[in-house]
Amino acid sequence: MPGKSSDQRRALDALNAAMVPVLEAAGAEFIDPDIIQPADVFLERSGEHIRSRTYLFTSPDGEELCLRPDLTVPACRYHLESATDPAQPARYCYAGKAFRHTPGEAGRTPVREFDQVGLEIFGAGNTAHDDAEVLALTLAALKAAGVSGYRIEIGDLGLFDALLHSIDMPERWRNRLKRQFWRPRAFRDLLRQLSAGKRKARTAISGLLDEMEDSGLEPVAFVEQHLEALDLQMIAGRTVEQVAGRLAEKLLDRSQPPLTAEQTGLIDDYLAIRCAPEDATARLRGIAGRTGGVFAGAVDLFEARLQAMREAGLDLAAMEFAAVFGRSLEYYTGFVFQIERDGPDGASQNIAGGGRYDTMLADIGAGQHVPAVGLAIQASRLIGDGGSGGEA
Amino acid sequence: MNGSSNLTLALPSKGRLREAAEAMFARAGFEIVKTGSARGYQGEIKGLNGIDVAFLSASEIAKALKDGTVDLGVTGEDLLRETIAPDNPVADVVLRLGFGPADVIVAVPESWLDVAAVADLDQVAGEFYATHGHRLRVATKYLELTRRFFAEHGMTGYRIVESLGATEGAPAAGSAEIIVDITTTGSTLKANRLKVLEDGLILRSEAVLAARRQAMAKPVVANLRQRLELAI
Repeated sequence: MPGKSSDQRRALDALNAAMVPVLEAAGAEFIDPDIIQPADVFLERSGEHIRSRTYLFTSPDGEELCLRPDLTVPACRYHLESATDPAQPARYCYAGKAFRHTPGEAGRTPVREFDQVGLEIFGAGNTAHDDAEVLALTLAALKAAGVSGYRIEIGDLGLFDALLHSIDMPERWRNRLKRQFWRPRAFRDLLRQLSAGKRKARTAISGLLDEMEDSGLEPVAFVEQHLEALDLQMIAGRTVEQVAGRLAEKLLDRSQPPLTAEQTGLIDDYLAIRCAPEDATARLRGIAGRTGGVFAGAVDLFEARLQAMREAGLDLAAMEFAAVFGRSLEYYTGFVFQIERDGPDGASQNIAGGGRYDTMLADIGAGQHVPAVGLAIQASRLIGDGGSGGEA
Repeated sequence: MNGSSNLTLALPSKGRLREAAEAMFARAGFEIVKTGSARGYQGEIKGLNGIDVAFLSASEIAKALKDGTVDLGVTGEDLLRETIAPDNPVADVVLRLGFGPADVIVAVPESWLDVAAVADLDQVAGEFYATHGHRLRVATKYLELTRRFFAEHGMTGYRIVESLGATEGAPAAGSAEIIVDITTTGSTLKANRLKVLEDGLILRSEAVLAARRQAMAKPVVANLRQRLELAI
């Protein structure tokens, strides 16, 4: 339908009128970020998978703009431009449209816009408490809207990060594992490769590495010599030092002892956890007993968050924790959650979600570390409009 | 494109692709004649009833197949797949025609001695963001092919810069770091001091006869396919 009917419009107004006051009562300023946003910040943050779904255009004066594909980044920008010190605690809530191209089934109009209600908490606070509060506010807003009969899944990307740091391996291996975390199959392959103890298959640059090893030269000197012999200039934003550094790492990998069975076992055991949060705690403690280090600290935070949820009156037994949850959500850094219910077609439908994204504000220009955690509720789906599109 | 029940076949209106397509149709015993106005954007195939011909640019042909303004078309597979994803049922390849070969590839500066494969590129993209505060830029006209290929390979930290010509010059000019482009002999890449990643072949393209789903089962299409196949 090209627009909302009178009934749908009233339903959305009623929904917003029920939910927004819940968020305001938690101290959030009710703002209206711009619909038209500079494209750059979204393209740099989110990459091509979002760009292919974002409505991009050029303003009459040549500026690259877009219709906001979410409200989180616009709220961040609002905060950065209006706060005198972006690190000072601030809370915002909003209700408005986001725009993402979601191709419909053959012959159907694509879904292009959907309604969201959300909240963002910026600035250093009590991490465990703020995480729990964001989930509690989501559930309170849904309750105010008369929504029930949903499932709650929670995850914690900080645990995985901490686990890797508690396992002895080169930092470059951690970075590679982290980068592949979003892709379960590639992650398995990489883990197998790092634990196999076999030399990697030879690649187009294996011969170069042999040469470098035999030359006895320092990596930088070797690269300089090689470039000169080929009459090549270093171009495209990289330096001789960076190229030499990566080659040196590749050489190191040849002699690096592989991950042990105990080490990969820790990763496997962690990724296998999918159960009620309170059972998860015991299993996480078991792993922390084997690793110690920063992972134990991350488990402490996990437990403190559960405790804060209990104190907020949330029913932990109604939730599921999954270690792999959050894999597909690139910008989150810690606690993540998602609320689903059965949609009109019987398939599971995501109606709300959110989590912690502590690196975003620094990335888009805060000039310092500013923790952030937020929630988004898919209002369109609650009124039965716009069946697809609209992830948090 | 017409009121009759004829199918419309789009043929390239210019360039090497046009010459090769016409030569092939001639070998198959099909003479293509222009009809209608003197500007000659329409035609028919002598000896093959039921098909009208429209002359379009190769890139328009893929779009016209997607929109349904034509039923059949001869175009480069690169342009077809850029416009219509392999999993999109709207149109598909009927016959690979064996001319117009071109590989769509990922190429990086030769001086990036440490980069052999897409996995290296992913790491360099991370390093690049940390150094420059913006993403590694990929110059290309193949936005969709690039996105699909990098998504399959788990490469995320890049950004596309749309390039409509002389793509291979972008890294040296500083408008992008790497490119996705077509190459036939590799000599242009070499001249620009670029190298293809060892797993950087996105598509081995050639000219194809493609058809919309509904047209595929028509006897006239089977006939056309058969005779063209013998002329490859």
